[in-house]
Amino acid sequence: MFRLTIEKALNHIINVNNIDIAPIDNKVISLGVDDIDLSLFFLCLNSRIFVIDNGQNKKTDVEIRMNKASFLSLFKGIPLEDLIEKEDIEINGSIKTAQNLADLLASSSIDIEELVSQYTGDIVAHQVGRSLNQIKNISLSNDGSIIDNLKEELTTILIAPSRAKIFKGRAS
Amino acid sequence: MEKTTHFGYKQVDVEKKQGLVKGVFDSVAGKYDLMNDVMSMGTHRLWKNYTIASSNVKEGDHVLDIAGGTGDLAIKFRKKVGPSGKVILSDINDSMLHEGRKNLINHGVIDVEFVQANAESLPFEDNTFDCVSIAFGLRNVTHKDAALKQMHRVLKKGGTLLILEFSKVENQMLEKAYDFYSFNLIPKFGEYFANDEDSYQYLAESIRKHPDQETLKTMVHDAGFEFCEYHNLTGGIVALHKAVKT
Ligand SMILES: C[S@@+](CC[C@H](N)C(=O)[O-])C[C@H]1O[C@@H](n2cnc3c(N)ncnc32)[C@H](O)[C@@H]1O
Repeated sequence: MFRLTIEKALNHIINVNNIDIAPIDNKVISLGVDDIDLSLFFLCLNSRIFVIDNGQNKKTDVEIRMNKASFLSLFKGIPLEDLIEKEDIEINGSIKTAQNLADLLASSSIDIEELVSQYTGDIVAHQVGRSLNQIKNISLSNDGSIIDNLKEELTTILIAPSRAKIFKGRAS
Repeated sequence: MEKTTHFGYKQVDVEKKQGLVKGVFDSVAGKYDLMNDVMSMGTHRLWKNYTIASSNVKEGDHVLDIAGGTGDLAIKFRKKVGPSGKVILSDINDSMLHEGRKNLINHGVIDVEFVQANAESLPFEDNTFDCVSIAFGLRNVTHKDAALKQMHRVLKKGGTLLILEFSKVENQMLEKAYDFYSFNLIPKFGEYFANDEDSYQYLAESIRKHPDQETLKTMVHDAGFEFCEYHNLTGGIVALHKAVKT
């Protein structure tokens, strides 16, 4: 769910704002957040991004390691060089590719704090709704229908039956 | 080469399975949608929505839905790809395709192409599709590895494969309840609603003969997909395998 939300938000922002992701085409970027034991692999192919949980032995082009605070900062648009300067982030491989990904994460405007709180604990449907409202606010094209669609799909995921137990007694 | 294969819990000659499966779907076609709702208590819609949400399909994409039957996924994909995209619904069975056509028209969807084809030998060029899906179809295919290789072949680089299929239940308690439901109630529903207990007995049995999550994941890798992961839905009653062609 966590990865799927990030994947959908990134692809949404790429499509709506017509972002050219050719510079990271064919690249595999691994991103590890040590203190919350989060590991993400970003695979860029066919003008879209796949967020997967395991590189499955594929050679990565860049490996980025950081802590939770820097992870949150990345999404808030704190420049990568500031984080590198403060030694809050470790990059092995092409800095340019890492920068491209950082730019994309920053522009996605995902409310990452909420999302991380879901990752580490509870998942509540309206929180995802709020994360997506953030996306709506910054989208260049104000296509409400895309957002509504995205929300609908994610809400469906959240209430997919294997998750249903999480909602028991939580209805607001 | 194996001489026999399973058809539900029965062992049959390899070359006979396809005809037997055809018999089942010829028989259930007219009542298929109703029975899906009854048997899954409507949950198949959530599973399918999850599949669509995971698809990464966007405007302009070309999508192939294999074993598409009555077209639930095709209808949803059609919306996503917009006028510049293309959706093909393929199925081996003409009765199911016929029901699919009716269903799509009822939903006001006319621009989906229908192709009668066996998943084991797809009549499409290499590197054609951005997404290939198969929902509740793979377990009926005799040579699953051949079908998976075909799916890999027709996908573009960066294309997504989605396999939605019944799988192995994670929890023992749930498994017991599910077994009872599958083998006692589903055939009875089949008899009551569709006047066809045997076909629904086959459907319940074929689910148990289908490879579990990890085995299918290995098969997907063996077919050439570098990345594959699965998501259990409803405690593993169903799993969605998602793979990317690299
Ligand atoms: C359980 S139905 C699923 C229909 C639809 N995808 C859905 O999810 O509602 C299985 C479908 O698989 C088709 N099928 C069985 N064997 C096949 C094969 N070898 N190639 C293509 N389709 C096949 C059947 O005709 C049937 O329509």
